[in-house]
Amino acid sequence: MIEVSGLTKVYGSITAVRDLSFRVEKGEIIGFLGPNGAGKSTTMRILTGFTPATSGVAKVAGYHIEDHPIEVKRRVGYMPENVPAYGEMLVSAFLRYVAAVKGVPRGDVGREVGRAMERCGLGDMANRVVRNLSKGYRQRLGLAQALIGNPPVLILDEPTAGLDPKQIIDIRQLIKSLAPEHTVLLSTHILPEVTMVCERVIIINRGQIAAQDTMHNLTGGDSESLEVEALGVSDTITPRLKAIGDVTKVETLGGGRYRVVSPRGKDVRGAIVQALSGSECSLVGIQRKGRTLEDVFVEAVAADRGGVE
Amino acid sequence: MRSTLAVCRRELSSFFTTPVGYVILGTFTAISGLAFALTFIQFCRITVSPADHGYEGIPNLEELMISPYLVFCGQLVMFIGPLITMRLLAEERSRGTMELLLTYPLRDREIIFGKYLASLGIVIAMMTVVSVHMCIVGCYTDVEPAVLWFGMFALFLMSAAFMSLGLFVSALARSPVTAGVLTFAMWFISYVLGTYGKDLPEHLNSPVAWGATVSRGIEFFWGIFRKLVIELPLDRHCEQMAQGIVRPQDIAYYVLFVAFFLFLTFRALESRHWRA
Repeated sequence: MIEVSGLTKVYGSITAVRDLSFRVEKGEIIGFLGPNGAGKSTTMRILTGFTPATSGVAKVAGYHIEDHPIEVKRRVGYMPENVPAYGEMLVSAFLRYVAAVKGVPRGDVGREVGRAMERCGLGDMANRVVRNLSKGYRQRLGLAQALIGNPPVLILDEPTAGLDPKQIIDIRQLIKSLAPEHTVLLSTHILPEVTMVCERVIIINRGQIAAQDTMHNLTGGDSESLEVEALGVSDTITPRLKAIGDVTKVETLGGGRYRVVSPRGKDVRGAIVQALSGSECSLVGIQRKGRTLEDVFVEAVAADRGGVE
Repeated sequence: MRSTLAVCRRELSSFFTTPVGYVILGTFTAISGLAFALTFIQFCRITVSPADHGYEGIPNLEELMISPYLVFCGQLVMFIGPLITMRLLAEERSRGTMELLLTYPLRDREIIFGKYLASLGIVIAMMTVVSVHMCIVGCYTDVEPAVLWFGMFALFLMSAAFMSLGLFVSALARSPVTAGVLTFAMWFISYVLGTYGKDLPEHLNSPVAWGATVSRGIEFFWGIFRKLVIELPLDRHCEQMAQGIVRPQDIAYYVLFVAFFLFLTFRALESRHWRA
């Protein structure tokens, strides 16, 4: 649905995005992560046709953005960061205007606006002036205007920034519910959010892709790891751990600590306790060590930094 | 077409849901009303004793009252105009809504024509005020209605031309204030040129020592400069038309003026493709 290859954007002497390539398939929810100034917003602005790329190709729904901007814009709903809007307009009037410029048939405008307001929980706010909306409702308005016209691709730039916890949960659920019929590219700083909502993650740093994979693969794939702390000679402990049926790998971490890797879903803790209950060694502790997205993120960003400097 | 109208409607609704619209229209109504009364009183004074004012017989109403009044209204539109046009595109940019506008499936022409139409809508609202004055003239004098209609048409052309200039400046500026000040400066320069341009000498004498070729060159460029100073100001082309004289060259001037500045507005909006 979204196809980007060799995308580069240069602002004067600053290269915001450098040779970026990725694909997003239909119906996927992609988390677009990166530290501040990594080029997330720039990439999104290029994909929505707001800023042209310096070089490279970006396609949405098979249409080249430079050659068919209108076709692309018809298929993309965009929620910019900070949600700009016309302060003096009523919420419903603003959304009706959006429906008109997005080419929603005249007869369907009312229904479409009602649907978008209901989905985003704006029902009670229809007759409020945009300027007077709280931050949370303004974010919802941004999402509602993106949803108008039911575009197959949604590009959301930090949709949950500045919301209270309850609103964040609502918006997350809403985004999740969009999945089968919409393709969503979502940028955010909140990593747990990505864990909850996204199927696949693209981490960019300094305008380049630092990591991209499914959530599953990034956070350890099919294996689970435990950190075992035991007293005794390591030469006796390691073989004992390796002998356990489901254990695939044992690493010595030093200081009496060992990493034990087993397939996901198999609990080997009981077996470890049994294996290490002898006279030559004694088990002191077992701790689950899941790789979180946070680890992946920090690793990806730090590795790149080290490489550059 | 529908998108163009939607853009236009939104612009007009912003104009009329904030005090700006009412302040602008109110100011225009007050000043134009005052101008109408004053030119009328002046005309009455002259008709009472034409000889005292250097006229033989009753002077011409079109020439002495309608044309100066309409040209004054044109100047007034241009004086207030920057307040209208400065918001058109520069405000979208300063509010950040340009990001929405340019990511909706809108063509540049739909945005530009929508905005321009909205500015013309406001001009038309001002013209209705003028039309009230014209009705008074029509009712109490024997001036042909066609003259009044045509005078208003000329005023409309002049205002429309100025709006296209303002739209262009608004397309360049990042903040409405910059756009407003620039547009106002352009009107002011045009006003000064229009007022003093007529007094420029027809020939510019250069010292004999410079030789015939140099003198002819200076004469040639002076001629062009003088012609430009006299012909460029917007209000000059309205003076005769406001008296009911149809001048195709003046109409063409306004139409070309609008076309030229709309063209430049397109280029200015397109410049986002090559400007970083």
